[in-house]
Amino acid sequence: MSVIKAENINKVYNEKTIPVHALNDVNIEIAKGEFTAIVGPSGCGKTTLLNILGGLDNPSSGKVIVGDTEITKLSDAELIDYRLKHIGFVFQAYNLIPVLTTMENVEFIMLLQKRPKVERDARAMQLLEEMGIGDKANQRPSQLSGGQQQRVAVARALASKPEFVLADEPTANLDSTSTSALLDIMAKMNEEEGATFVFSTHDQRVIDKARRVITLEDGKVISDERR
Amino acid sequence: MLIKIAWRNIWRSRGRSLVVLGSIVVGIWALVAAVGFMNGFIVGYMADSINHDISNIQIHNPEFKKDKEVNYIITDAETKIDKIQTWPGVKAATSRVLVNGMIASPKKAAGVQIRGIKPKEEAKVTQLDSLIGDGAYFEGIKRNPILIGKKLAEKLGVKVKSKVVLTFTDSHQNLTSAAFRVAGIIESSSLNLNEGYAFVLHSDLTRLLGVQDAHEIAILTDPQVDESIIVTKYQSEYPGDLAETWREIAPELALIQEMYSSMLYVLITIVMIALVFGILNTMLMAVLERFKELGMLMAVGMARIKVFGMVLLETIFIGILGAPIGLLLGWLTMFYYTQVGIDLSAYSEGLESFGYSSILYPYIENSTYWTIAIAVIITAFVGAVYPAWKAVKLKPVEALHKI
Ligand SMILES: Nc1ncnc2c1ncn2[C@@H]1O[C@H](COP(=O)(O)OP(=O)(O)O)[C@@H](O)[C@H]1O
Ligand SMILES: [Mg+2]
Repeated sequence: MSVIKAENINKVYNEKTIPVHALNDVNIEIAKGEFTAIVGPSGCGKTTLLNILGGLDNPSSGKVIVGDTEITKLSDAELIDYRLKHIGFVFQAYNLIPVLTTMENVEFIMLLQKRPKVERDARAMQLLEEMGIGDKANQRPSQLSGGQQQRVAVARALASKPEFVLADEPTANLDSTSTSALLDIMAKMNEEEGATFVFSTHDQRVIDKARRVITLEDGKVISDERR
Repeated sequence: MLIKIAWRNIWRSRGRSLVVLGSIVVGIWALVAAVGFMNGFIVGYMADSINHDISNIQIHNPEFKKDKEVNYIITDAETKIDKIQTWPGVKAATSRVLVNGMIASPKKAAGVQIRGIKPKEEAKVTQLDSLIGDGAYFEGIKRNPILIGKKLAEKLGVKVKSKVVLTFTDSHQNLTSAAFRVAGIIESSSLNLNEGYAFVLHSDLTRLLGVQDAHEIAILTDPQVDESIIVTKYQSEYPGDLAETWREIAPELALIQEMYSSMLYVLITIVMIALVFGILNTMLMAVLERFKELGMLMAVGMARIKVFGMVLLETIFIGILGAPIGLLLGWLTMFYYTQVGIDLSAYSEGLESFGYSSILYPYIENSTYWTIAIAVIITAFVGAVYPAWKAVKLKPVEALHKI
């Protein structure tokens, strides 16, 4: 059963001035438990695609179906709620709330979902332990390294067990050690919890760890291989 | 958690929060001080004038108003007073005999209004007895006692027990003179009381003038009573007399009162506008600075209303912190100056000629503190609405991609 289904997605920026065709007739299906990389050179449309899959942006045409909801039909307010309940996000940077501790950051989504405190605490602590940063629970993000911060972001995205996690170049700002550590943790969570990951990258070491690689070029899918 | 984030955001950019805090503190402080001083200046003086001189309502013979001829009397003044005093809203009433004349000491002479009063009744209406500095209220002098203001006494070079001579025209157009002895010296900020009036006993003056009854009835009403109702009632009862409220008798006081309230409104508006823009500006900076963070919050599913609330909460917290500080500073300022007063004598040449005293005692009602604090917090709130709105309007994708 597919978790995400994108049908005939087109995205044109600046339609009225100088149109940029960021996505051209993209069709993708992602199944539960996949560990998928969207790859391609800078400017090929990775960010645009992930934003559309995650309901952060609307396609110019085509539809996105998540589970059995056509999210491209939802209103702005419904989309915010949908994202909160069904999708986890990891961004390249600015993932964390600087005034909250690591632990509070991980709990944040669960809190917006109004989960009980006991459950939040247990889940947040469990994830931080798995990420190897259990000792950093009461520190502020600024006291953590870039790699540790991204692990907190992954923990937050996973905390409420969303249908899938979207990560747009999560390792772009990391050195190679932190990069492989983060990928290992994502892979581990994919195996242990069956979490579905879709992440974009143009880093070969990251691509090597993916189990499915979708390659974009000039807004078109040019290859889709599983391994 | 929203509360936690908003609270911690205050400490995150201390400089900026201090600016907002400072404007709230200064806003409240400035308003408390301004209201206090204006109250002291205007209300204090007005209260003095109305309570000790003009009274709420005065009644005359309409002819007497035009031409201060001593024969224009109010007939049956005592019967009328007895009646008035039973009316609701009337606290006390008294009658007077008035004549303009000269007061002379061996050294000097001056023009005065000689007021023949009934000490007990007068005290109830104008509390004249409470204004006596040196000497006593018509006591200690057996024959022809007189009370004069401090300034007049200085001008004449007389003290308690000194002799003065009053000269005036009686009801038969004869120039009359009589010797009086100073029983007491009046101390007041009012120009009239300080140097314009000489108070003698009603019985002494009627005898010397050769008139009966009174030229003036003064009425003190209960606080917050609409004087015009009593005036209308009197007028329908005794259409031959002329009854007027203090507003008609002293239009300049009514004007001052009006100016005072409009000045106060202008002042409050200026402070509030400055506050709104100060806060709007600083909070807008705070929002712009956290554009990416706010974008991320909305991207991961934080509802817009919560983002809006978070930005507002931050300002409200600062307001709640700032209000007590501003109130305390305002209260201390008031407390200090109500003890020592503010000496305006350096500027008071002009003021005193208008009848103001040279020492100003600020005055503020307790409820005004709360009004000001609440008004300022609401203002701060208004100033934060636009930045919060701006935060809500931002598109998460765009916010996140502005690098
Ligand atoms: N907001 C935008 N306005 C106009 N053009 C955009 C915008 N965002 C992206 N693009 C353009 O769309 C194309 C795809 O961009 P993007 O999805 O960011 O690629 P990638 O993430 O693979 O680097 C690029 O040519 C880029 O310049
Ligand atoms: Mg990108």
